[in-house]
Amino acid sequence: MNTYRTARRVPGARRALQAAIGILATVLVASACTGGGAQSAGSGAPRDGGNLTFLIDSLGDTWIPNNSAISSFQGNIWGEVTDKLVYVDDKGAASPWVAQSWDQNAAATEFTLHLRQGVTFSDGTPLDAAAVVANLDMWSKGDPQRGITPIGLFPKTYQGAEAVDTTTVKVRFTAPTLGFIPTLGYHGSILISPKSLALPADQQADLSKDIGSGPYVVESWKQDDSVVLRKRPDYNWAPAALDHQGPARIDSITYKLVAEQQVRSSSVQSGQADVAFNPSPKELATFKAQGFGVAAPRYLGFVNGFAINTKVAPFDDAGVREALQHGINRDEILSTVYTPDWLAATSFIQSNVPGASDHSTSFAFDPTKADLLLDQAGWARSADGIRTKNGVKLVLTLYPNPYLATSKAVDELVAQQLGKIGFQVNIQAFDVVTYGQRVKIGSPVVPAYEITRSFIDAGTVGGVLTDQNKGENWFNLGSSDTKLAQLATGIAGASDPKARNTQLDELQGYVLDQGYFVPLTQIVQRLYLLSPKVHGVTYNGVAYANFYTAWIDG
Amino acid sequence: MADRVGNRGYVTYALRRAAQAVVVILLAYVLTFVVISVLPGDPVTTTLRNPQSGFTEEQIARIVSYYGLDQPVLVQLWHSLSRFLTGDLGVSLRTNLPVSHLVAEVVPSTLVLAASALAIAVVLAFTIAFGVQYLPRPFGPALRAFPSLFLSVPTFLIGLLLIQLFSFQLGLFRVIDSDSGLATFFAALTLGIFVSAQIAEVLIANLDQEARQEYAGVARSRGLGQVQLLLRHLLKPSALPVVTVLALMVGEVLGGSVITEAIFGRAGVGSLVQRSVSTQDLPVLQAVVTLAAVVFVVVNLVADLVYPLLDPRVRLLAGQRRSTARPEPGVPEPGVAAR
Repeated sequence: MNTYRTARRVPGARRALQAAIGILATVLVASACTGGGAQSAGSGAPRDGGNLTFLIDSLGDTWIPNNSAISSFQGNIWGEVTDKLVYVDDKGAASPWVAQSWDQNAAATEFTLHLRQGVTFSDGTPLDAAAVVANLDMWSKGDPQRGITPIGLFPKTYQGAEAVDTTTVKVRFTAPTLGFIPTLGYHGSILISPKSLALPADQQADLSKDIGSGPYVVESWKQDDSVVLRKRPDYNWAPAALDHQGPARIDSITYKLVAEQQVRSSSVQSGQADVAFNPSPKELATFKAQGFGVAAPRYLGFVNGFAINTKVAPFDDAGVREALQHGINRDEILSTVYTPDWLAATSFIQSNVPGASDHSTSFAFDPTKADLLLDQAGWARSADGIRTKNGVKLVLTLYPNPYLATSKAVDELVAQQLGKIGFQVNIQAFDVVTYGQRVKIGSPVVPAYEITRSFIDAGTVGGVLTDQNKGENWFNLGSSDTKLAQLATGIAGASDPKARNTQLDELQGYVLDQGYFVPLTQIVQRLYLLSPKVHGVTYNGVAYANFYTAWIDG
Repeated sequence: MADRVGNRGYVTYALRRAAQAVVVILLAYVLTFVVISVLPGDPVTTTLRNPQSGFTEEQIARIVSYYGLDQPVLVQLWHSLSRFLTGDLGVSLRTNLPVSHLVAEVVPSTLVLAASALAIAVVLAFTIAFGVQYLPRPFGPALRAFPSLFLSVPTFLIGLLLIQLFSFQLGLFRVIDSDSGLATFFAALTLGIFVSAQIAEVLIANLDQEARQEYAGVARSRGLGQVQLLLRHLLKPSALPVVTVLALMVGEVLGGSVITEAIFGRAGVGSLVQRSVSTQDLPVLQAVVTLAAVVFVVVNLVADLVYPLLDPRVRLLAGQRRSTARPEPGVPEPGVAAR
């Protein structure tokens, strides 16, 4: 074409222009990184008023309360417009909220909730026992006839609930369910007005019709764009554990979807916004140095790691699993992929979970020991460094978890580390859709399933490891490992917290010593970049920021 | 008499193109369904299978059944097509909101962005093309590199640079007020820069060609100044092919809006498509693809119908558009690519 011919006449000019653009880009990015440090903070004294702008990378999909992504982006909004029966802090301690107190029978199969009086939804409906029963039923069963899902991790042992009087609810379970009370503080256990729950699915998908009792109400919203919340002036039933009561201090919160990570962070740096969700972990140190607030609250749940499929050779051999356990250098993962905000794993559950104990020696990095274990298991090194046995190579295929942004980078590092002790590690990365179809726990082609999952009570641990009570059978052992089955059943059905913790400690040691679960690191799921003008933000047990307690300098 | 024949031919041509348009739109609807349906998974199971959700296979099966996603593909297609022909676009599988509501909410924003981007692109393209012709060395020749440069610099980089400079450094607009006038202008500029490149290439090539024509030489020898020559003689024949290019650019603008809307935080058709593709939200994708097909067909139809009115060298013969002139340099023969 003519254009290309004419453009070739002045290659110098084109190169010069391209160079100029390159230099301009570098200068701008550099100036954004180094210049304009945070404005000095105000007095820091709590004050009422102000509007907070929160930039978020997604606003999820549907707003039907049960179906929404309560465990990820939308949980930020739900946390401000709804209340829960119980408040769970970042140490996993449950304390009163809408439920002022509770009792349970000795078998932990029957619970009585005593509700706070005078709580109302923002549509004026009282948040009484009948409303709580309607919510419990909806969390447990959903309504498939209307396309409404149950809350995934709500106890499957739920039998039913009844309103004894306006402030008393009796809840029954088919088996001991110690985790019930903490579960009331979980992501999904948000209290919604019964009038909203009765709406058809397409109307529940309209966020403005999902009425909660929280400190903020929905003023306006636009799908995939923004949500504007306005303070509820008559709110007066905050969790006692928080150091603030009465209405929220900040007048309004605007959640604005900005998909580009760099734009979110730069908006806070330039003073255009107050909070950015999920900034780049690699930039956290820079933000801190500039005086911005950075929060990496820890959640309660499993650490990031691999559930090993014991039916897939060679991981049916305990020696190979143990070698795998000691062949991974977790400190190198932390220093290479993450920042100091990420912690080393000490078990296969996060260390802030009540009942978590330190079993880090069971999976300490020890390549010499790993080499010896593989030698003893009959895997000999061949010329290319890969071990073989009876002509079969020592192969491990990893499938990075598409829900965790750093997963592939971690797996690549693990592949290098295991390569040094003679593994051939293949990495097969899939998008979310394909991953859901092809990578399943227990699949014969998935020797190691990558876990990242939050929970609010350690009772969950007992329910997923084996196939008992429709468990998820993480290690593909069914109930064949009697010790594991015994411990898991004991934990899932425990009625005494102390006895459960003893069993939980034993279970953690056993699972790690057997190489059933290979931990990588403790996980941070949510990151917040905060303007220095924002103070008093609290974080709950599932790592969500709570702006009810916060204030903004004038 | 000749006029009546010409008018009849024109009407026949327009009707034929309109009928073709309906077929194209229906085919786009069905093809979208087929392409999405053969992919593994669906938005419902994808969400429910998130390991964080903790659903049992039985629970997942019940919900999938509610949405009718367990039915044979042909049955799903029949239901979908029946609804579409009665004007019902269905409900989004991702958001559970009516598709018509979702589309109506984002179309105005994208139309404003696209129209602004096209306007900016035209202004930029004409400025560059005129500059190439009339600016002294080294500026004029240097401008020839701009279209290639605009095409080679990724749109997201241009967008980020504009935001960094004009929003974060100079504070001219706020990213969070993404629908404000200035934010829209810079978003349109991001998109317009890319689009302008292709228009400028055509325009530069045509101006080069026209400037070498004998009539241009005669005009110069009679003492006509460069600017007068351009305005009086060169501009019209050089600019006509831009109509065809503009029609073709509509697709580029819709495609380019995905990135631009993501960077500038705008809720538009592009971002709706991006989310719907990543979650396989079939009803929304069908609606948007159909809408895009309608826009594309209409724009090209208008371009084809307007062309003979603007250029006397193009005639409608037996209900077909034919050019009696030599093909324009730098663009396909008019009417061929546009269809």
